[in-house]
Amino acid sequence: MPRLRSSARSSWLGCALAVATVAAAEEPGKWLERMNEALTTRNYDGTFSHWQGGKVEMLRIIHRVQDGAVAERLVSLDGSGREFVRTGSDLACYLPDKRTVLVERRPAEESLFGGFPAMNEETARFYDVKEVARTRLNRRDTHVIAVSPKDEFRYGYRLWIDDSTAMPLKTQLCDGRGHVIEQIVFANLTLSSHIPDSDLKPEVSTEGFQWLRNESLAPKGSPTSASLVWNALKLPPGFKMTARSAQTMPGSTAPVDHLVFTDGFASVSVFVEAQPQAAADQPPVSESARVGSSSAFSTVIDGHKVTAVGEVPPATVRYIANSVKAQGSEPLLDPRHPR
Amino acid sequence: MNEELDSQLSAMFDDELPSAECELLARRLSRDEPLKARWGRYAVIGAAVRAERGVRLNARLAGRVSAVLSTEPALAGTAMAQRSGPFAKWWQPVIGAAMAAGVAAAAVLWLRSQVLPEPGPLITQAGAPATAAASPASTAEPDSYVVPQTPERRVVVPSTELANYVVAHSEFSSPVARRNLLSAFMASESGTAGTPAGSDEPVEDAQDNAKTTQ
Repeated sequence: MPRLRSSARSSWLGCALAVATVAAAEEPGKWLERMNEALTTRNYDGTFSHWQGGKVEMLRIIHRVQDGAVAERLVSLDGSGREFVRTGSDLACYLPDKRTVLVERRPAEESLFGGFPAMNEETARFYDVKEVARTRLNRRDTHVIAVSPKDEFRYGYRLWIDDSTAMPLKTQLCDGRGHVIEQIVFANLTLSSHIPDSDLKPEVSTEGFQWLRNESLAPKGSPTSASLVWNALKLPPGFKMTARSAQTMPGSTAPVDHLVFTDGFASVSVFVEAQPQAAADQPPVSESARVGSSSAFSTVIDGHKVTAVGEVPPATVRYIANSVKAQGSEPLLDPRHPR
Repeated sequence: MNEELDSQLSAMFDDELPSAECELLARRLSRDEPLKARWGRYAVIGAAVRAERGVRLNARLAGRVSAVLSTEPALAGTAMAQRSGPFAKWWQPVIGAAMAAGVAAAAVLWLRSQVLPEPGPLITQAGAPATAAASPASTAEPDSYVVPQTPERRVVVPSTELANYVVAHSEFSSPVARRNLLSAFMASESGTAGTPAGSDEPVEDAQDNAKTTQ
């Protein structure tokens, strides 16, 4: 019996430890949820530096939620004076250096400043989320939360989250070795109950500017090819296809197949379009590119150009693009309504 | 090695080889050890010696081809693609047509794309001191050599096509990634903003100058 009790006690202790471990593991995830909520529901006005590739840009973000309507303004404080202003589904880009204003309709729920995906069991398989430190930043107490990838197919994050407001005062995007590849740091941040309309108006005078509007990027229902349905035969662990569509890109009349893959945190889009005959006669080549901290890779498969783009390491977009193949017919889905 | 191959190598160094031949030669380089060795010698010790035979060294191209040699054969076309492939337009400034295509297309105005850093240097025989092999005065073939890595990152403007893809993708990327992307779009082209010369790491915050209020 003592052995039984001992065994039972061990079992109970094991369960208790497991519960404690889960609770401890949830705590950093809770901070991510609080941060996400703060970013999307609070009014704030802040100035931050954006570092990437050895270059720093100062920007100002103003975010207002009023009567359920989100309005945002992102302003470059260096050089060009460019601004993004979003009101509802309209995103206006003011380019004083080009004397042009561009207006595009975007999903209303998008945020220019954004939040962070919620942690769940699925994402926990591929990322470790830990609170690695409590420190002071900008004279504020912060929790430093590290989101570390468990393999080389994704990037990690470090976030300095304000203890009292849950706003991220500093974020870093890190590669698999922990090296910082992109960083945002607030120099000042004000959370207020009211942000006047005047703060959301662009400072630039648009007199004499050219206005260009684009209503596209909405997915079209028609497939690019009646007989070809594209899919990735192999994916990095944890990635799943969550959307598929055909859409027409601005400035083009030919529809492009758009596949979206995600592991819950990171996402990769794959675009497939038929090659013009002249290009198809050339030997197939592959190319890689960096877009900010995102990666792009393009190759040719079965006479179609396949391009993968995503906020993942270069090897991941290359892996996914190279695994894309045409398969049997399948109904197309709207990417904005994942299966 | 026959003269034709030698001539092709020479033309490749001069960046004058037709794209199709470049592609084939790059593929052959990836599996032909003697040819690979010849290429390496061109890159490192050939400048002075080969010039007598009319071969001019193109260091950037040497670096690019060295990258081809160190990647899998399936990617052998990558190095040449920048000037000859059907996607070569990715790397060429395309501004005029972008304006008419709307916001997404006009991202090309701001979007800066960087060619990926080349993979590590081609080391044909491990443990060789590069400096000893790199002496231009030596006419003897060295036992080993290292093709120097091309440190340059070419910053170019991508096409509207890539810009469109990136913007279309941003609708499905995480909010943080989307924010970063937009911030990158906002970066000025004037070059007035930047870290101190030579800085390659983010600068720590000047905490005394920062504030957070509620």
